[in-house]
Amino acid sequence: MASPVSVYNSNALDTHISSTSRESLKMELLADVSLLPGEERIIDKETMYICPFNGAVKGKVLITNYRLYFKSSDADVMLDVPLGAISRVEKMGGASSRGENSYGLDITCKDMRNLRFALKQEGHSRRDIFELLFKFAFPLSHGLPLFAYVTQEKYAENGWAIYKPVEEFRRQGLPNNKWRITFINKNYELCDTYPTVLAVPFKSKEEDLRRVAAFRSRGRIPVLSWIHRENQAVICRCSQPLVGMSGKRNKDDERYLDMIREANDTTKLTIYDARPSVNAVANKATGGGYEGDEYQNAELVFLDIQNIHVMRESLKKLKDIVYPNVEESHWLSSLESTHWLEHVKLVLSGAIQVADKVSSGNSVVIHCSDGWDRTAQLSSLAMLMLDSHYRTLRGFQVLIEKEWISFGHKFASRIGHGDKNHADQDRSPIFVQFIDCVWQMTKQFPTAFEFNERLLLTILDHLYSCCFGTFLYNCESMRDQQEVRLKTVSLWSLVNSKMDMYLNPFYTPESGRVLYPVASMRHLELWVTYYIRWNPRIRQQQSPVEQRYKELLALRDEYLKKLEALELSGSSPSSRLANTPNNPASSTPPQQYTQLQTPL
Amino acid sequence: MEFSEHIKTVNVEDVVLRQPLHPPSRGTLCITGHHLLFSDREEGSCRQVLLLLRNIDAIEKRISGSSGTITIKCKDLLVLQLDIPGMEQCLNIARSIETLSCLDSVTEMYPFFYRPSDVHLPDQWGLSSPEKHYSQMRELHDRWRLSTVNRDYLVCPSYPPAVIVPKNIDDDMLEKVAKFRQGGRFPVLCYYHRKNGTVIMRSSQPLTGANRKRCREDEQLLQAAIEGSDKGYIIDTRSSQQALQARMTGGGFESKTCYSSWKRLNRQMERGKALQESLIKLVEACGDEYQNMDRWLSKLENSKWLSHVQTALSTAGLLAECVERDGHSVLVYGSEGRDSTLLISTLAQLIMDPNCRTLEGFLALLEREWVQAGHPFQQRCAHSAYSHARLQQESPVFLLLLDCVWQLWRQFPLALGFSEALLLRLATEAYASNYGTFLCNSHQERCVLGLKENTHCLFQALLRPKERDCYSNPLYEPTELAIWPSVHPQSLQLWRGFFLRWTPQARHLEEAQEEIRNMVIEWGNLALS
Repeated sequence: MASPVSVYNSNALDTHISSTSRESLKMELLADVSLLPGEERIIDKETMYICPFNGAVKGKVLITNYRLYFKSSDADVMLDVPLGAISRVEKMGGASSRGENSYGLDITCKDMRNLRFALKQEGHSRRDIFELLFKFAFPLSHGLPLFAYVTQEKYAENGWAIYKPVEEFRRQGLPNNKWRITFINKNYELCDTYPTVLAVPFKSKEEDLRRVAAFRSRGRIPVLSWIHRENQAVICRCSQPLVGMSGKRNKDDERYLDMIREANDTTKLTIYDARPSVNAVANKATGGGYEGDEYQNAELVFLDIQNIHVMRESLKKLKDIVYPNVEESHWLSSLESTHWLEHVKLVLSGAIQVADKVSSGNSVVIHCSDGWDRTAQLSSLAMLMLDSHYRTLRGFQVLIEKEWISFGHKFASRIGHGDKNHADQDRSPIFVQFIDCVWQMTKQFPTAFEFNERLLLTILDHLYSCCFGTFLYNCESMRDQQEVRLKTVSLWSLVNSKMDMYLNPFYTPESGRVLYPVASMRHLELWVTYYIRWNPRIRQQQSPVEQRYKELLALRDEYLKKLEALELSGSSPSSRLANTPNNPASSTPPQQYTQLQTPL
Repeated sequence: MEFSEHIKTVNVEDVVLRQPLHPPSRGTLCITGHHLLFSDREEGSCRQVLLLLRNIDAIEKRISGSSGTITIKCKDLLVLQLDIPGMEQCLNIARSIETLSCLDSVTEMYPFFYRPSDVHLPDQWGLSSPEKHYSQMRELHDRWRLSTVNRDYLVCPSYPPAVIVPKNIDDDMLEKVAKFRQGGRFPVLCYYHRKNGTVIMRSSQPLTGANRKRCREDEQLLQAAIEGSDKGYIIDTRSSQQALQARMTGGGFESKTCYSSWKRLNRQMERGKALQESLIKLVEACGDEYQNMDRWLSKLENSKWLSHVQTALSTAGLLAECVERDGHSVLVYGSEGRDSTLLISTLAQLIMDPNCRTLEGFLALLEREWVQAGHPFQQRCAHSAYSHARLQQESPVFLLLLDCVWQLWRQFPLALGFSEALLLRLATEAYASNYGTFLCNSHQERCVLGLKENTHCLFQALLRPKERDCYSNPLYEPTELAIWPSVHPQSLQLWRGFFLRWTPQARHLEEAQEEIRNMVIEWGNLALS
């Protein structure tokens, strides 16, 4: 018996709707919308929102240059959707359509929902709103700037400062006598989709790098992403070698990979090709391919992860069974037929293999075709498993900035910010899938992450919103050209200026620990609070706990303060942050199956 | 019976024990009347493993050459393997386990022998009783009374001696009603809703039969229950078709003409064998570690376990809705009224009544609605999912209840005062226990065997300070509101903590929960100090 949720579960974005009394709302429904700096009202209109859960609701819709906002006349239903989340706007019905509410707008969103508005049929009432919505939802297709360039919200912290490549390398202990930092790409001449600062084997010379670049797709040469402090094993990432049909070889590439191996005396360098082997073979036809036997001292492992098109279709299928109506009678087999969880499983288990290899002292190289989708997923997830720093709130931001943004995951192409071409074959939810994998890990290790689910939801909301510059454009060279860091605000400015919203009170830092999530289907769950969050009838498990979070954080702070005071007074009982139970044995209740203290 | 008759080999040296989450270890195996004891003889460790024989659901033995292997499958889903040197010893051990794990006589079971040195047998047994329940609810006294018509268990063998019934229905009338209800289970009150004065009653089906017999007293009893209100609801956990068919075998349902104030609602719930088979399928899918994993979700769906969870929660939701939202009293039954009836009345009480959501409140609820109300634990929990024995009366209704409660717990992590660990403990204890609580099928049987005098009470043990810490929910925040579960399949989850309990992952999560508990308690203490 699902209780109808009275407050419509609207957007999770942090928009500020002041609480005005119902009476005044009735008088002027849209009076209280608080706009962001630079946000302007474009048009508002009487309309009918065809809510898939509550039926048609009468109200007013407002379009600004940032959002679509709707409030029902009785103020019970509210929608607040950034225009960036819209992938498609269509007219529904024609002037002669019959039937109630058959004439209006049909809006497809990128965030697992669709919106329908019915308008009056007389006098082409939707023409102006359709045209304006189309224009502002897809500004790049209309020669307009993205909203991130229009708004200039001020935050206490500058999020662009969170990631400094050299500092991050230094944290990892680089450069050292095996690895050096190179600025060979400072003008993006070696590789236009790579960052400017790269870590490469100490022994490699700049001309080696250039020759290797010629043999790697789009010049994306193997470079270091992460190094294990103790055993010096590394994770390197790159794109596929340009082997082609003729089976070309490149001595420099072979020698270069061997330098990576040598750096910590790994006996056999493992190359993880994220693709299914058939796809890797097929890539030879277009000049690509994979490392063959000529790479001595290396082994190649295919991880069987499907490409962006398969992932796009999979998520589309998932949307079909959760929106607007959730599949009821054969839910689990329908879920299975989307294969979404299976893809999540393959990505996670690939990352686990990488992490396991590295923590046992062997260096690895990861690539797929171009090395900006599956490769980014694998390297960043493996790093999250290996390095607890990335499991902190700030460390996670660094991880995304580094492995995704700076290494040229094509956010603009995958998301299609401000672009009207909704059917573009480049669209794919690769980053969403990565965040899903992270969520699965937080579920399996509830105390290992400093951040909470809300952070993940916020990141995904702003992946589309175009309110911040963080996820705009495909690579660093484009970002420099567009002066993103000068002219827009970073998402991390928002996050870090209200950090306690995103903290997990149960976090207990354990620096040396490697997390190995279980990537078995039995232990994976559909992320209901993201994929089905628009459905008010599905219980949002997150909310009650979250209310308690702040309280718990306050308790924890108090605890830490008292602990500090005790330590100062010299009577420190323990300095641990309650991360080890006093006596693990006493906490397990006696059961039939017991470890006995005394023999019978 | 002497247990020693069944033990040919008492001790075996050099046995290798393989169990999940531990490396194999070598040591001595010893079998007693009620336990398997394994003690590790590796250098530097002296681990001992004690297993209640009653917990063993099935064993498989394999002899190869001069040694044998016994695989032990437990009712709590643990699977162990013992490599035993010596064919004869192996066969002897296997035979002993087979006999001693399914003793028929209740008084030979371990609870009658369990005598922990630090605790005396209690003077008072249990937490709750109809008498206590009645005396605690003063509001009830105007219109309801405590009847001892069943003091000798003659009116209804499966009811406790005292029950709560409408005040103006005297014991003579009750006796007549009892004859009109299957197994004598006449309608009794199980819950009083303070907010609006409505009640939940439960019973078994009326014995109208093909001739549509009537019983005036039964009609009067139900009328008295809703005195002053225009109507009541009857929730029948069978489909209308099943209810019709029941007439052929002497059962039936209340006709509209004779019970004009009552509105019947049919909600078909699976019971008995179907439920047991569902559990077997589910456990099979869960244990199928090395098989092709692609079809996991389909297998999970095919087991139908989660749809049984869904039906139970939504029927309980319907019941709670009638009472809380609609403001009408409800009578619940299926056929016998000892299984699904108890399941939904318990869940509905958890949904509506904050008093049932504390640790004590929940245990008291279980005691009233399951133990005293006569859920036949001994028959239902004789075997679990692994047994090859021919199924008789086994059915995991109580396990289904615990699963449903877990779903509530997951959807309302702050609203319940107890922890997942409690539900896991209860799931284990119901099948094999040191305590007498879940023995027998009814109050009468327990009384005859002197259970109260001769065994310990589980519910009391769970409330001892040390256990209480472990079984309470550190995040508990009492709420007066009803907790309406979402029953969409998307909102329901496999209870991994139980069904995948012996995987490293479940164990790891358990540890993390433990860590969270300790943290919150520690912070709380400091905040107080």
